[in-house]
Amino acid sequence: MNRREFLKKSAQYAAIGAAGMSVPGMIERVYAADKEPQIVVANGGPGPATRAAVNAFGGMERFVKKGDKVVIKPNMSFPNPPDWGSTTHPDVVRELTTLCVEAGASSVLVLDNPLRSAELCLVRSGVRKACEDLPHTQVQGPTNKSFYEEVKIPEGKALTSTMIMKKVLEANVLIAAPVAKSHSATGVSMALKGMMGLIYDRKDFHLNLDIDVAVVDLCTVLKPKLTVIDASRILSEGGPSGPGKVIPMNKIIASRDIVAADSMAVELGTWYGRKFKSHQVKHIQIANQRGLGNMDISSQTVREVSA
Amino acid sequence: MRFQRLLQLPLFFLFLFLLWLAAYPLPAWFEVDLFLRLDPLISLGSMAVARDFIPKTAVAFVVLGLALFLGRFFCGYICPMGATIDFWDWAKGKRGKSKGENSFEGAGRYRSLKYLILIALAGSALVGISWIFLFSPLSLMTRFYSFVLYPMGLMIANLFLDLLRPVFSHVGLEGLSYVRYSVPLFNTNLFVAFLVLSILMLGMIRPRFWCRNLCPAGAIFALFSLRPLFRRKVSEKCTSCGRCVRICPMGAIAEDFVRTAHSECITCLKCEEVCPEKAISFKMGVKVPRLSPEVNLDRRKALGAGVTGLAAAALTMTNLHHLHGGETPRALRSAGLIRPPGALPETEFQARCVRCGECIKGCLTNTLQPVWFEAGLSGMWTPKISARLAGCEQGCNLCGQVCPTAAIRPLTLEEKSFAKVGTARIDKTRCIAWEQDKKCLICDEICPYNAIVSQFVTGHPITVPVIDEDKCNGCGYCECKCPVTGESAIIVEPLGELRLASGSYKEKARELGLVFHAKDKVEDHTILNRDQREGKELEEGPAVKDEKKLPAGFTTN
Repeated sequence: MNRREFLKKSAQYAAIGAAGMSVPGMIERVYAADKEPQIVVANGGPGPATRAAVNAFGGMERFVKKGDKVVIKPNMSFPNPPDWGSTTHPDVVRELTTLCVEAGASSVLVLDNPLRSAELCLVRSGVRKACEDLPHTQVQGPTNKSFYEEVKIPEGKALTSTMIMKKVLEANVLIAAPVAKSHSATGVSMALKGMMGLIYDRKDFHLNLDIDVAVVDLCTVLKPKLTVIDASRILSEGGPSGPGKVIPMNKIIASRDIVAADSMAVELGTWYGRKFKSHQVKHIQIANQRGLGNMDISSQTVREVSA
Repeated sequence: MRFQRLLQLPLFFLFLFLLWLAAYPLPAWFEVDLFLRLDPLISLGSMAVARDFIPKTAVAFVVLGLALFLGRFFCGYICPMGATIDFWDWAKGKRGKSKGENSFEGAGRYRSLKYLILIALAGSALVGISWIFLFSPLSLMTRFYSFVLYPMGLMIANLFLDLLRPVFSHVGLEGLSYVRYSVPLFNTNLFVAFLVLSILMLGMIRPRFWCRNLCPAGAIFALFSLRPLFRRKVSEKCTSCGRCVRICPMGAIAEDFVRTAHSECITCLKCEEVCPEKAISFKMGVKVPRLSPEVNLDRRKALGAGVTGLAAAALTMTNLHHLHGGETPRALRSAGLIRPPGALPETEFQARCVRCGECIKGCLTNTLQPVWFEAGLSGMWTPKISARLAGCEQGCNLCGQVCPTAAIRPLTLEEKSFAKVGTARIDKTRCIAWEQDKKCLICDEICPYNAIVSQFVTGHPITVPVIDEDKCNGCGYCECKCPVTGESAIIVEPLGELRLASGSYKEKARELGLVFHAKDKVEDHTILNRDQREGKELEEGPAVKDEKKLPAGFTTN
């Protein structure tokens, strides 16, 4: 390398460096600008970090086409305030909904079948209020059987059929937007486990089926195009309902791969006072085995962004 | 339309509207139990039985005071029972006219019954027993519209919503396409319907039969309106055609068409309307000939009524399930009788509760149900938590807010969260985790107070639910959601319930060491196991040597 080349290269690196510094939110941990990341971890407040995470995939337009009917599935199963960590932060849902509307969605339905009184859950979780002024948007917790339809699960090992919300079946795009929290039966409850919020009757999961297998069965028919996990704070123990220990994390995790997103959230968090590898969560391990996604974080491109 | 109808109809719809509003979330701008508190029988009766001044119901005094000037206007204008009976009498045809003799003298056969009922109620009240709920028109009506017609109305509404659902999204009413009322279910609804129907059927004998002859609230009003300022006056133009006597729904006009029994007149103004000579007018303070005696009470009958009241009280006091007063206040209490949070101690509670059903109608989860004879004969229609049906919602304190007599104390949400109603108990022989090694932890999952934890217990390969009694609020969500068919494997019982007549539930709970919120940074999953608490090592379960230290859902592989 001669002096001229050296100067030229130096200038280039400096320019890249300066560019990197001047655009906060684009500092990458794994440097692979040409490749789309498989998992994005965005740091910052729940709303801005959600936007940053989606933008790291090239924006919501990559998932939502003009005129699409979108269903967003947050966790609003409990009438608890956001700081309990038992429900998805309303800012996350609001931001996702806004992004979908901006991308041209013809309707955005925010749906969950809550465990406790639906009305109270929608109000107390703050989600209904957060989305009330957004166009083409509905926040609903339908509990009546007439809103559900029987669906066969051909790949089901334990669960062979179940009743799923009709609106979900009619939608073009499903986005999973769970909160990362502990769960007394499945260890953690994130995007995979969260799909149970779109079905009518969950009794059998606990009563007759192996819940870890049944959750994966369900996920063979409910496949989100995008998973955005709210890890702004995690309910580290005492889940799913809380009250329990809440740890602030200030992170939003996103992936096209539902298993990868869940795995990332498991490994970033602390559960019941200890750290776990993604394969140590039974239902994640099963989902990985059955080809629903990749639980191995180290083999994937993880991009860390800040909002 | 007649002036009376112009007021009666809107007030009746207001009554229904307020009943509709008695739901979560309660409106802040109006007290939905207002109508109930206007009933002097509810007001005076509850105070007499409870031997206490109940400030909330003092508004009935205003109504009674007005009766001194306006007579029985309440019956004609405000009372929803009156409106319902008027509607019924009209709907059954013959325009509500009375068969045969309808003059005050001629149709007076049962007239004194209402005073006798009032005396009997007073007799029971003397020994602290309330039968008000069988006779108070507001209690009867609130109960009837709540338990009988409200769920039916919602079912019909749902029918229309289902029909129109495909249309809504097309006309931009997307929100409506998700509306579907959850129809509440009510115990004893058949009997409530039967009772009110019987009262209405009495209209076959005479219009407003109930108001004329039976209603003890009407009797109180009658006693206050013997000499009202607002009176019916008949001028010399009267040709004695007799139309007024025949049309009068209360049979309040004397045989001479001129004199009026003011204690019976509800100032409906029908007589004024039908009079062809315009001889009848209602005016303030006019001089009219007196009709006496208006109240004709035989001393023997009055005494008999009082004794009947006492006997009825004695009857309920000697019932096996009677829970207060009498010879044995320790009588058999049903294990399923869980009172709503903030319910006064049982004696005061039953004394004050008028069984209107407002709390039951308003209950967010439909867990509150009227009991049949579970709380004794005089405990009929008192509310209880039916946990198998639904849990008592942590964030709701509606029942106390709508109670007209404060039989359920109007607690703040915070106070209410300390008003423990009972304690859950696991039936290990029914629990599928304890008995069948199934990974069922629904009760742990749902418990809003984190009083149930899943833990490894010697001899069990999987975690099993264990209750921390000091954290259990008795809300019953566990009992409701337990997936075991039939009777739940986890049952809330009255054990440990807090019933305070006064003072703070929060302080009492603290005194007793009850904790209804998880302590921060305490690892719940280990604090409870007694073996571990005492420092003993857990014996290894048969199947899970390496998994036992991990919470459910995790594996070491």
